[in-house]
Amino acid sequence: MKPKPIEIFCGTGGVGKTTMASSRAIHLATQGKKVLLITIDPSRRLKEVFGLNDDLAGEVETVTNDRIGSDKKFQFDAMLMSPQATINRMIQGSSKGELLKNPIIKTLSKPYGGMNEIMAMIEVNLRLKGKKYDTIVLDTPPGKHFIDFLESAQKINQFFDKSFLDLFRYLGKSFEGSRTQNISKKILGGIVAKGVKKLLSYLDKVTGQMFVEEFIDAVSGLYQNREYFLEGLELEEKLKIQSFSNWFLVTSVEQQKVTQAGELKDQAVQFMHYDNFLIVNKTLQKQLSDWNPQSDINKALKDSMIFREEMIMSFSRKNFNRILEFEEILSDSPSEHVLKLSESWDQISL
Amino acid sequence: MDPLKRLYVVTGKGGVGKTLISLGLAKHLQSLGKKVVHNSFDQSTHDRLCSNLDIPTWNSSLEESATIYIARKLGSETIAKWVMKTPFFSSLFDMVPGLGYMIYLGHIIDRLRNDPNLIMVLDSPSSGHLLTTFEVPHNFREIFGSGILVHDINKMEESLLSPNFLKTLIICLPNQLSLSEGRELKEKLAERKIQGAEILINDSISLIPGLNKDDLPNCLQEKIKIEQHLFEGVESFDELTKIPHFSSLDEKEIIMALQNYVKGLV
Repeated sequence: MKPKPIEIFCGTGGVGKTTMASSRAIHLATQGKKVLLITIDPSRRLKEVFGLNDDLAGEVETVTNDRIGSDKKFQFDAMLMSPQATINRMIQGSSKGELLKNPIIKTLSKPYGGMNEIMAMIEVNLRLKGKKYDTIVLDTPPGKHFIDFLESAQKINQFFDKSFLDLFRYLGKSFEGSRTQNISKKILGGIVAKGVKKLLSYLDKVTGQMFVEEFIDAVSGLYQNREYFLEGLELEEKLKIQSFSNWFLVTSVEQQKVTQAGELKDQAVQFMHYDNFLIVNKTLQKQLSDWNPQSDINKALKDSMIFREEMIMSFSRKNFNRILEFEEILSDSPSEHVLKLSESWDQISL
Repeated sequence: MDPLKRLYVVTGKGGVGKTLISLGLAKHLQSLGKKVVHNSFDQSTHDRLCSNLDIPTWNSSLEESATIYIARKLGSETIAKWVMKTPFFSSLFDMVPGLGYMIYLGHIIDRLRNDPNLIMVLDSPSSGHLLTTFEVPHNFREIFGSGILVHDINKMEESLLSPNFLKTLIICLPNQLSLSEGRELKEKLAERKIQGAEILINDSISLIPGLNKDDLPNCLQEKIKIEQHLFEGVESFDELTKIPHFSSLDEKEIIMALQNYVKGLV
């Protein structure tokens, strides 16, 4: 299958997105492509598979075949998403230090702080612009968080566009050029707009004065760096171009939530093009259908397992034109798992 | 025996059987004569299944909970609705989803406080998500520093961390990867002072009562080997709750059967 500049693996939790994305990265790397594998998923299975270092989250690490005990030579880059590292990379210039020191930004950009998706959008875009890689393989967070990721460009846009318009209309040009020091005081002094003033007074009541000041510092810091954030919007457009992206929705036979996979697809479809793939992971269909169980208990087991398979296949055929089936790999070692899956990619000809 | 807890959170990766186990747990608590509600924490709800099982549900949405909270703080529902609708606030809410989760969790805790007889079973979204949810109160306290909100966050944490309030059940599948992820979650919860999370292994084929293990295709024999290898490596194996695969195609039947397995955990 022809690689594209960006390949996205998405799906509900626990279906094997990370393993699948990792196997794709290995497959492409074995063919000599320059690959970067990024995981946004806070559960970070990637580190388990490749022995990545948690302390190096946000940094690119090179993974070679010997790290997971494979004879087939390959090498690719991998990265665990860290919002803080992305902010650090993204923002240049004098305002950087102050923005990073702001307690609000600092807290929100922690690994579980809630800005993962938005920063991931920006990170991927930065990497694409760096033009270092043939393909970026993206392992996305499960379910709803994936939609958060897809929506983040719009959220960024709204955040800077609508909400700040009112707030900053009253700040004038002097603010744009000025340094952030004591901006909160200036802003508070300067705000006369009825709506904003009212809103801030409510905020003040609930959160306390200190928060309001730090909050204004944080948002004004973000606002001064808005062009870096807004660049993330470019990615959203690119993802819709067929020649630019491959989308893989991963489901698994183990996974009993076919309806959720359907919901996810319906929500994601406005962000992607129609030329996408469904991956059915962990299928045992072939072996199960050849099995002739004797006892009632074994028969019931067969029926229940076949039922799972059929549920997922009927969903697949209804919703997707292109289905890739991967047989369940029965191995206890995560790396063996990934290696075997990468071989399955070799056999796909589309 | 320990007294019952007020809030049971069932978590784990997608597809491990959280929903069915959480409903089995609710059913069991009901059979003890308790007033139980089931909550899906802003995920898709299971109203039909619940009503079929006679399990009352209580669900809210992040927006709804936030509006209620703000209304209480400002003493006016109208103002709260207006605040939620301002572009500034709604985009802030969008940018920082953790804020919504925290308020929702607060809403749940409030409900439990107001009704001392109520027990809630929460079918939580996948494990990383749960961690985010439990992490937010801590984060926002740092952010807000002082003020009413911090007071509320403190009260909320006080409840969460009080000895007989919360129990977290982490559901895993019988393989190494799944179990080690479950353990990692347990450790991370403990770092956040959420103690006493318990790991359950679900959907084990080797534990199906009466299964003829010689009469299986290769793939299932392999699965059984993996399970047995896993079980041998587990210390205090007997104390670990293990649930067999249920071959029934009827969810209600499975849920009723699950009651027996969660008994020891409440």
